Amino acid sequence: MSDAVNEIRQEARAWLAANWDTDAGRARSGGSMGDWMRLVFEAGWAVPSWPTDYWGRGLGKAETSAVIGEFRKVGAPGAGQDRTNITANSIMQFGSETLKRKMIPEFLTGASMCLLYSEPGAGSDLAAVRTRADRKGDVYVVSGQKLWTSGAHRAQYGLLLARTDWDVPKHEGLSFFIIPMKQEGIEVRPINQITGDSHFNEVFLDNAQVLAENRVGEEGQGWKVMQTALAVERAIMGEGAGERRQGSSKDNVVSLIDIAREAGKLDDPVLRQDIAQAIAWRQLNALNMMRAKQEMAQGSSSPIMSLGKLAMSRILHGDARVMTKLLGAASMLDGEANERAADVNYRAANAYMTSIGGGTDQIQRNIIGERVLGLPREVEADRNIPFRQSRAVTG
Amino acid sequence: MTMIDADERAAIRDGFARLLAERHREADVRRIMATDSGHDPALWQAISDMGLTALLVNPDHGGIGAGPVELEAVMEEAGAALLAGPFLSSAVLAAGLLGQSNDADAKARLLPGIASGEAIAAVALTGEAGSWTPVGVNVTARREGDGWQLDGTAAFVLSANVATVLLVVARTADGIGCFEIAPDAIGIDVQPLESWDRTLRFSRILFSGAKAVQIGGIDEAAVERALDLGRVALAGEQAGAARQIFEISVDYLKTRVQFGRQIGGFQALKHIAADLLIEVESATSAARAAAEALASDAPDKDRLVNLAAFACADAFSEVAATAIQMHGGIAFTWEHPAHLYLRRARADAQLFGQSDMYRERFLAAMEKAA
Repeated sequence: MSDAVNEIRQEARAWLAANWDTDAGRARSGGSMGDWMRLVFEAGWAVPSWPTDYWGRGLGKAETSAVIGEFRKVGAPGAGQDRTNITANSIMQFGSETLKRKMIPEFLTGASMCLLYSEPGAGSDLAAVRTRADRKGDVYVVSGQKLWTSGAHRAQYGLLLARTDWDVPKHEGLSFFIIPMKQEGIEVRPINQITGDSHFNEVFLDNAQVLAENRVGEEGQGWKVMQTALAVERAIMGEGAGERRQGSSKDNVVSLIDIAREAGKLDDPVLRQDIAQAIAWRQLNALNMMRAKQEMAQGSSSPIMSLGKLAMSRILHGDARVMTKLLGAASMLDGEANERAADVNYRAANAYMTSIGGGTDQIQRNIIGERVLGLPREVEADRNIPFRQSRAVTG
Repeated sequence: MTMIDADERAAIRDGFARLLAERHREADVRRIMATDSGHDPALWQAISDMGLTALLVNPDHGGIGAGPVELEAVMEEAGAALLAGPFLSSAVLAAGLLGQSNDADAKARLLPGIASGEAIAAVALTGEAGSWTPVGVNVTARREGDGWQLDGTAAFVLSANVATVLLVVARTADGIGCFEIAPDAIGIDVQPLESWDRTLRFSRILFSGAKAVQIGGIDEAAVERALDLGRVALAGEQAGAARQIFEISVDYLKTRVQFGRQIGGFQALKHIAADLLIEVESATSAARAAAEALASDAPDKDRLVNLAAFACADAFSEVAATAIQMHGGIAFTWEHPAHLYLRRARADAQLFGQSDMYRERFLAAMEKAA
């Protein structure tokens, strides 16, 4: 390990020791989580790899990883948002200087946001969005319907993909905005999911307004900006962010073996094969992610990161399948009648969150095939015609 | 074990890759396959000159003293090139087994030759059951005067047809032991068998009152440790070979045109390629993690070695099998290399035991750790 890495590790460790109360899970100085985030931000830990005049410390990949590692070790949030904060990264890469100064500090210190991407007519084909943003002086007026927006009812801002030009091909007429959610003209309605949860919403925009200076990138650059945002999101999902955190053991490995034992099936040689394979998929993905991080820390880019979400979807569906086999007929029950069944059934339904959300497995395979392996792109009937003439509009 | 830094490790690997690119191209693989022995002495000499046969041997006996991590890296290259000949047998299994021994005489007698490549050793590890477990050993050793006498059958003995010395794992009254015997000794019959993968040669060996010398200090646990090295080597080979045939397939998807398009533009093939990339990367990660765990004698090394054993075997099997389907008719021809990878994949999936056995061992290791 290099001296620079060691040095920064020591510094982060010392800073955490002075400022973070591990047992209490908050700042030693007390205050809210927002106060803690501001402390982290001011110390430059929020985005260690960014330049010093942009709230960072100008650190390399290995040093940044070391900082993140120290924070993770003591369970302190807020560091390493240069890898995880979707909004801040998008603005940093594409936003105007004014927008950076205005909004990045807010997002790095905990401002909440939701994603206004998908629409009823634009799921896998996200570039077909029909929500319109029309320029009127210093503002854009926005109308349309968005879907699958988590946290929309409490978010302060929305990351909005909207059409600003209908006379160019679909990818070229999009723009990307940071729109305030608390305003007249925005209505949020919860969607009831197959799990019984309601994490997602429909968002109706009816002459809502967003300042022109809140546009990220130029008009027509929206697709490119969103790709950056999606890449950050997928990287997070590959590490299992979509998994159930409540209820039974967080550690799936223990739970598969435990469930088998409980069900009296841990000696069944056929089921043991299934259990081993399910656990193996999870461990192999973890080993892949570890190797990807090592490769990235050494400065080379890693294609492995893009595999994580697809792999995770196989893991989650696979776990649910094996757990269902272990439970047998009891898996028909639910709720208090059988809490184990309730958990397994929840997992079986919730696995689709990973295999559909953020790009279906099929879209992921296209992306891996095209961007990682360099295979030819999909044929798109409306790629090169004015969007106005596309069947997305003409029906 | 000697400390070998990352630069030296990369140099060893790169040197080997260059040698293989020059001396072990597809045409060479086919040439060696067609020989009676499946062994190219000139190539063996070049591999030995580069020090690779000495990789696992202690410096006291003329070796380099490298460990599982270097071995795994080298085996990825060997797998990619479908290396033919006795490397796995002599430089890995035999060197690994002798490394477990505390028999100074035997080590001084055998290891320098193995390290220099002048000797080629084969290891008899299993009977016709082909389980590579102590239960599967079907040779017994009895004391006879000062020495020992071997009876029974060893099967699937890798590279015994070209070996200058045989190491035989056998049952004694006190459990598993290891014995040295010349392949042309009286009472021993080495029967080379046809193999489906002609780059790997197996023999059946019949022992009938054959006189052998015991190699001290090798018991069941020592055999297991040597086999761990073999498993990591094989996992590396499988990972490297899977990656190579995968890359050959992806290249073909970009060059083959049907319906006026490169066929890699069709989702039916593109999606298979994406799924296989997960297998290829997982195999690489598993093989390397197992090598590192074994090198550091990590507490979870059993889990990781067993995981690599089945994950790499399954990945290579799937990638090699699917590669032929992705290519279509061209890969159904003898002249196309895809079937060479399928042959190796199918053989490797049996060597040292099948995936089901390793999945079971993996789960048992998880239970034990819990």
